[in-house]
Amino acid sequence: MSSDAKPPLLAMRGIAKSFPGVRALKGVELTVHAGEVVALLGENGAGKSTLMNVLAGVHPDYEGVIERDGAPAAIHSPKDAQRHGIGMIHQELNLVPELSVAENVFLGRELRTARGTVDKKAQEARARELLAGLGLAVPPRRLVKHCRLAEQQLIEVAKALNLDVRLLVMDEPTSALADAEVRRLFAVIRDLTARGVGVVYISHRLEELEEIAGTVTVLRDGAYVGTRRMAETTRAELVRLMVGRPLGELFPRRPEQHCGGEVRLAAEGLTYVSQDGGPSLYGVDVSVRAGEIVGIAGLMGAGRSEVLQALFGHYGTRAHGRITVDGRPYRPRSPGHAIRRGLALVAEDRKGQSLVTANTVRFNGSLAALARYRTPWRTVHKRREREAVAGQIEALKVKTPGMETAVQHLSGGNQQKVVLAKCLLTRPSVLLMDEPTRGIDVGAKAEIHRLMDELAAQGTAILVVSSELPELIGMCDRVLVLCEGRLTGEFHRDPARGPQAGQEAVLTAAMARETVTTHHLRGTRS
Amino acid sequence: MTKTQPDPAPAGGEGPDGTHGPGGPGGPDGTGAVSRARRILPVLGSLQAYIGLILIVAIGVITKGDVFLNQTNLTNAVGAFATRGILAVGVTLVILAAGIDLSVGSLMGFASMSAAIMVAHHDMPVWLIVPACMLIGAGFGLANGIGTAWLKIQSFVMTLAMMSIARGLDRKMSDNESVGTLVAGPDGELTENSESFQKLGTPDNNVLEGILGPDGIYFPVLAFLMVCVVFHLLLSRTTFGRHIYAVGGNPTAARLSGINVTFVIIAVFTLSGMLAGFAGPIDAAYSVSADPQAGYTYELDAIAAAVIGGASLAGGKGTIIGTFVGALILTLLDNVLGLNAVDDNWQLVIKGSIVVLAVVLQRPDLLQSIKNGIDRLRGGRSRTGPGRTPDKAQVPGPASAPASKETPR
Amino acid sequence: MSSSTRTLRRALTAATAVLAATALAAGCASKTEEGGGGGEKGAGDEFVIGYSQANNAEPYRAQLNKQLEHYVKDYPNLKLLPIADAQQDNAQQVSQIQQFVQQKVDILIVSPNEPAPVTPAVEQACAAGIPVIILDRTVDTDCYTSFIGGDNFEIGKKAGEAVVKELPDGGNVAELRGLLSTEPQKQRHDGFMEAIGENPGIKVVEEREGKWLQPEGTKIMQQWLARGTDIDLVYAHNDPMAIGAQQAAKAAGKDEIKFIGIDGLAIPDGGIRAVQQERMAYTYLYPTGAEEAAKTAADIAAGEKVEKKQTLGTVEITEANAEDVYAKYDMSGKVD
Repeated sequence: MSSDAKPPLLAMRGIAKSFPGVRALKGVELTVHAGEVVALLGENGAGKSTLMNVLAGVHPDYEGVIERDGAPAAIHSPKDAQRHGIGMIHQELNLVPELSVAENVFLGRELRTARGTVDKKAQEARARELLAGLGLAVPPRRLVKHCRLAEQQLIEVAKALNLDVRLLVMDEPTSALADAEVRRLFAVIRDLTARGVGVVYISHRLEELEEIAGTVTVLRDGAYVGTRRMAETTRAELVRLMVGRPLGELFPRRPEQHCGGEVRLAAEGLTYVSQDGGPSLYGVDVSVRAGEIVGIAGLMGAGRSEVLQALFGHYGTRAHGRITVDGRPYRPRSPGHAIRRGLALVAEDRKGQSLVTANTVRFNGSLAALARYRTPWRTVHKRREREAVAGQIEALKVKTPGMETAVQHLSGGNQQKVVLAKCLLTRPSVLLMDEPTRGIDVGAKAEIHRLMDELAAQGTAILVVSSELPELIGMCDRVLVLCEGRLTGEFHRDPARGPQAGQEAVLTAAMARETVTTHHLRGTRS
Repeated sequence: MTKTQPDPAPAGGEGPDGTHGPGGPGGPDGTGAVSRARRILPVLGSLQAYIGLILIVAIGVITKGDVFLNQTNLTNAVGAFATRGILAVGVTLVILAAGIDLSVGSLMGFASMSAAIMVAHHDMPVWLIVPACMLIGAGFGLANGIGTAWLKIQSFVMTLAMMSIARGLDRKMSDNESVGTLVAGPDGELTENSESFQKLGTPDNNVLEGILGPDGIYFPVLAFLMVCVVFHLLLSRTTFGRHIYAVGGNPTAARLSGINVTFVIIAVFTLSGMLAGFAGPIDAAYSVSADPQAGYTYELDAIAAAVIGGASLAGGKGTIIGTFVGALILTLLDNVLGLNAVDDNWQLVIKGSIVVLAVVLQRPDLLQSIKNGIDRLRGGRSRTGPGRTPDKAQVPGPASAPASKETPR
Repeated sequence: MSSSTRTLRRALTAATAVLAATALAAGCASKTEEGGGGGEKGAGDEFVIGYSQANNAEPYRAQLNKQLEHYVKDYPNLKLLPIADAQQDNAQQVSQIQQFVQQKVDILIVSPNEPAPVTPAVEQACAAGIPVIILDRTVDTDCYTSFIGGDNFEIGKKAGEAVVKELPDGGNVAELRGLLSTEPQKQRHDGFMEAIGENPGIKVVEEREGKWLQPEGTKIMQQWLARGTDIDLVYAHNDPMAIGAQQAAKAAGKDEIKFIGIDGLAIPDGGIRAVQQERMAYTYLYPTGAEEAAKTAADIAAGEKVEKKQTLGTVEITEANAEDVYAKYDMSGKVD
């Protein structure tokens, strides 16, 4: 850590920014010292992204002062930001899928040969060097579309490092990463700070911040709330600062064990062999009882999502096994068939797989259950539809100006609730949830957890996939662990029923096979 | 976390509806002209989707008055475009499902020729010809759908190929000769079937005389209206209509919501083909003959009508009412220019310009942009737009704060 | 992305390069061959004719194709290859002509889609020693052996003279013009204007581009009538536009308006029949030149001298001679 005598690497003072009709920021302060990781914390819509866009020169006009190393810095364009050594990694990755890794790293700053052509050799050599520094052994010529999401994230980091940054902003860099990959990223961040780079780290995962950040700055509704030293604060305090009110338990699962209900879903030997090199499943056994929440843990590519998608008929009859739903035999055929059999899926990618974002809350809410509001003329009974959706909006406390609002205008948490409403309107007996809280803020996350608990209490069987181990351990009655398409562990909340779920035990099972770990963690130093 | 996410990236970021109450940044202290503009804007807003059409009708009425605004002229104008309008409805379905159908012009040509041959060479009755042509069109459309949904050929390529195939078959079938639909019997008079065939669209032939007014109604106009109503109801009321929007908006989400995406895609192409088949006999009656080139480039007019009407080529966005308005804009514009005897060369220039203007005026975010502009004017000096490099000379002195800090508050 | 796929891709790239190089080399080679081939046959041998048609899908040109097939049969030593259809595409026509040159046809007939783009290809054929007959539209070179075409100016003039005859006391004329960018349109217009200049009482009160299309004729006529223009006679640059306009006038109850068209095709849906049915007052035969082209080809084969420029006359078709003209040019049953 740098001494206080030296001027900070970056100081933003009294930053305010208005958009027509919206005051996005007012009086925001942010200080980053060299070699320090500052966490920027706040709910969705608190102004974190706007603040970082100001820093990155996206907004040419704003009020307030920005100082670099104690001298005023006029940052009004991305070029200005670059000149001041500010690099940014956005939450939504800015890579060109059809270009190679090296080409992406040098995008817009291509190295040239004497003849003026792109010097591919030099680029590839430099890219390999950068990636090796990040513990990534991806061949520089590989197309980005063939890289896994975690690898892409690190390629973004390499791209930023290639700029020789003094200050690196990372917006939700871990939202797509599994725990082991998060470790690797943290190692990189520590390496950077050791070299005197300042890091602004935006994340919703409090436990991560505790591990990596030195100080934390909290925003709420566009206003500066406060800055704390990480070591001197508690999660509870941070949550209180963020939401402006104390929040009870993060994972509100009722303490009693739920496993006495009848078996809603049972799959034995669930098998799916991927044709395109994606994860496959080899004889996975899964069962969920009414009222039970069962979690599926594993590293990226272990086949977690594939279990849900195979059950939901996404792979058609290419996925098979001895499956029963509510006691009757079930052969996955298509998602439509699965819905009719009482399954519902909250898919992993909200915008990509679950929502027609340009359309309204009503449209999306009723989409999967339209058959329930059909008149004999095959038209939609609009009143019944509206009532049903309104009921769910009410029950799930979706915050929306109205049912005719396009879902793209809602926050991530509320979008996720619309997805949940869509699933619940089909009255599922088995709810499959894939990363139900990814990328949504703490308040909304807690609400989703509360809803899961309530649904289970009403007798729904829930099978949930998550990359956040604390979430799984906190919410689930049982946690199944997958590794390379095979079941490698089963843990319970109730120690009386078997091995108890704990972060370390689950992680060990997730990396159960030597071959697997070397394959997936190649290049990590841990 | 309570309000809808502001996330106010200026480029492309539409604010949630209704964020601009009267107490917003454009408060009462605005200058006279500005505040007047603010009062007028909401009124314009409700009419905005039709503003292009209103503009053209206004020009028509101002320049030609009753000559423009009388039933015969309007019937003629809509009638001339009716076949393309019907094609546009079919194309709208396909565009909504995130596809494109370039084959409709050729399909109509093929159906037109089929209809003419049926009436001229086989003396078939009109009530048989129309369903037969619809079936023929639907067959071609089905092929388009299968190619797109099952064989995964991009619809642009699939229907481009079909455009060529149908045109070739049309020309082979007709031997490149036009076929007349005015068929004289042995007695020199028109045959009964030919006589009734003319009801489909030969000028001066109306249907439903005595039912819809004493003179009845010109069939192409009736057909176009009927098709619009039926497909408007299909899209806005039925589950199938919802499925089309979902498939166009996000096919993965549609599939995971239990929608049979393949079926929907095949169905929209089939319906589009069927409508092209329906337009065929009308075209053959309108021209009292089927030309082997009939329908050439009609697909472009049809796509234009849909897009002017607000359909997004990216899929999931558009309405039949919009397409109807788009078709009216195209045909009434042509009519107004014709009635004013505007030079043919200038007509091309004016048509292109007005279409661009109409589309710009109809943009839903237009008012927003105007408001932003007004706000910026009120806010005093404004900086360059986002993403542009600002002129560094404007940043005052070393104690620099950004220029807009001087904004009076 | 295995190394084998990369190797494969490289191989494909290399193969493409080789192909391209070969094509280039072939292009050079074909140039050096110029001047050889063709033209050394005796009168008794079979003479192969290649015919490049601008666009089969126009009734006039379809008729021309049929007539040519018909008249060529009169000369047993002539063999007509399948007609090549350029589909209104200049580039396609150029490549078709080049293919005929490659095939070393004995006689080449071309109906150019447009003069300038097709000219170099015609020059290649000439340079290869192949006698070329140009039909209908011109080319920008005079290396061809013979040009056969109608005289659009003359036809327009004849139509104008008929108008002067029909409206001795003057009157209002509306003109439906073909596609404005085409040569026949200009000439049919100019000839017409020259002829009606005889009578200052005749005024052109409306003129619009009907693009040669029947539905356009209907639509424009409707607009003219809506404007309240007083029209005595409509002169259309082709029969379909005249028929389309007549349909609109009939619908509006304006039966007294007279219609004049051009083309006079002898098909059931053509202008001659329309004159017989009194839908048009006159049409003017636009000769296809097929008969003359066949004869010219035969003369070339026989080694006889042919005329460099053969201008074809027109026939004024009225109710009086319509049946006879139809019978003369009706090809149904005469080919295939």
